[in-house]
Amino acid sequence: MKAAVAARSTGFWAEAWKRFRRKKLAMAALTFIGGLLLTALFAPAIAGTKPVLCRYKGTIYAPCLGYFDRRLEPAIFTKDRFRGTYPRNLKEKDPESWAIWPLVFQDPYRSVRADEWPGEPANPARDEGRPSRRNLFGTDQAGVDVFAKMVHGTTIALLVGFVSMGIAGTIGIIVGAVGGYFGGWVDMVTSRVTEIVMCIPTLVLILAVIAVIEKPTIWHTMAIIGATGWTGIARLTRGEFLRLKGSEFVMAAKASGAGPVRIMLRHILPNALAPVLVPITFGIASAVLLESSLSFLGFGPPPPTASWGSVLNDARSNLAMWWLVAFPGIAIFLTVLAYNLIGEALQEATDPRLREARK
Amino acid sequence: MAAYLVRRVIFGLLTLVVITCFVYGLARNMPGTPLTVQLGETDPSRKFNPEDLERMKRIYGLDKPWPVGFAQWLSNVVRGDLGRSISRKQPVATLIAERIGPTFLISGTALVLAWLTAIPLGLYASARSGRADERVSSLMLYVLYSFPTFVAALFLQIIFAVWLRGTGWELPLFGMSDLPPDAPLLSRIGDVARHMILPVTCQTYVGLAYDSRFIKANMEEAVRQDYVRTARAKGAGPWRVLFRHAFRNTLIPLVTLLGLSLPGLIGGSVIIEQIFTWPGMGRLFFESIRERDYPTIMGLTLMFSMLTLAGQLLADLLYCAVDPRVSVE
Repeated sequence: MKAAVAARSTGFWAEAWKRFRRKKLAMAALTFIGGLLLTALFAPAIAGTKPVLCRYKGTIYAPCLGYFDRRLEPAIFTKDRFRGTYPRNLKEKDPESWAIWPLVFQDPYRSVRADEWPGEPANPARDEGRPSRRNLFGTDQAGVDVFAKMVHGTTIALLVGFVSMGIAGTIGIIVGAVGGYFGGWVDMVTSRVTEIVMCIPTLVLILAVIAVIEKPTIWHTMAIIGATGWTGIARLTRGEFLRLKGSEFVMAAKASGAGPVRIMLRHILPNALAPVLVPITFGIASAVLLESSLSFLGFGPPPPTASWGSVLNDARSNLAMWWLVAFPGIAIFLTVLAYNLIGEALQEATDPRLREARK
Repeated sequence: MAAYLVRRVIFGLLTLVVITCFVYGLARNMPGTPLTVQLGETDPSRKFNPEDLERMKRIYGLDKPWPVGFAQWLSNVVRGDLGRSISRKQPVATLIAERIGPTFLISGTALVLAWLTAIPLGLYASARSGRADERVSSLMLYVLYSFPTFVAALFLQIIFAVWLRGTGWELPLFGMSDLPPDAPLLSRIGDVARHMILPVTCQTYVGLAYDSRFIKANMEEAVRQDYVRTARAKGAGPWRVLFRHAFRNTLIPLVTLLGLSLPGLIGGSVIIEQIFTWPGMGRLFFESIRERDYPTIMGLTLMFSMLTLAGQLLADLLYCAVDPRVSVE
């Protein structure tokens, strides 16, 4: 039994993972992205003004879910006129109640008022909100806590990368695969379309499209970044498909009667995936960068949606508030760096040519 | 060769028509027109009454559907007329001519500086490949490469314009010059140079980080070739091998990279010019989108796409010129 296990050779991905794991920086980057994922998932429990769990009039509620979607906030609190202020109202309207509060009592959308949390003063506003014990990363001009804004903005920073590159990857792989596999006039058309999209300056296109949309949301931005960022992926996929379509396993699949879609998806794509994954990872980095620069230019999601880039935009009007630059700036930088490091390690782990060179 | 060029140019022209048509359609479908956006924002009482608006629309050709407008624009362009800016009351060609200089001042300086530092850095990195000092410098360049320009720009502004205010190190935040146009030439040049330091720094470091990594990657490929081994075997010194044998062979991809940086050289950077309110092309484009100034948007889009296409063609041609093994056919 043991011999049978040992005899089985490790697969390509297991081998790649083994090599990837040896790179300390890349593993640190992966851990960082994992940390961001946890932060995004537990954002309402890290910073918020709504209880994570509370018992009110005999029932247990989780009002913090309202941060994910307003409709998830239990209706009873609206009916009982809480108006978003929980600590005092809970005690006044039901002395028996208890609540588990978020780690930091700060709201990403509004300033905390004086005595909202018994005994605590209001957030400093204008340019006086430097980082302090109460406001770890300071407050912006309106007195909104920057730490809370950034914790809740993590969702966007992650979503932007994955959603836009999901779109770009899908378009790029389909266009590249179809062009590379069928060749001839199909390849001619797909290659020309790719070249045309490549020639449109990205920022020009994105700014123009965002201006057309009546009420742009973050989802529009992601869709546009995805719809413009697929050209590199398409080119690479096309090359891989061109290279692989003449190989013996494709012949064998054809001989056994597999249709073109099946051959492309089941036989060629898994073998072409590794080199295509690399530009997708780098693409995530540039998507994060693009979204934050758009928010920074004032073309981001409309307020009050929190995005790291929009905090930076606030800093432009008052440069003396250095904390509005430092914290989101470093967060964007670390995220971009992490994706770049992962992309590079992925390239080195999956590219056999680079591997041989190391020897 | 001639046939290839003709084919490329014809396809390039077709691409230009498709792109400009697409952008024109987008621009005309943005909410608001140049007439309403501009006046309505500054002062609601200055909005046109409906009859005036209709008259203005007729004058600027905005009363027709956008495909007709595009056809009109295209036929004007073919005759060499880019139209007049609606919000600035100036011919678009004049506007672009005014802005090219400042943009080139920044991007040209940055490009030269980046290459001048990237080549020695890249060579140094490949000469000392694998040693501790090379690893540290490569990691730092990598970090620099991932550092967003606009964050760096804000940090630089905070340091040099806020924290160092009043000292000799203070640098101007915005614009290109504070002096009146009748000031002595030398002091005006000095003033513009002082304004240039921060934006040029921002644009240089991005290019520097990218180019030196690019050079190092190509050098690593080159030093593994047989001719380098031969050169070493016949007793050439390490620097001679690096310069005469390896580096000369990496010039080909470098030339391609140079060709591809052409659009950025004249198109400028929207973000850097916006942060430092530098009166260049990128900023003009940003403003024209805000003002819904269709003729300027179109003029700039045409120019940007033309430069991109020209850069690609130039890169391909240069590639053939420096490498006899490659042929355009």
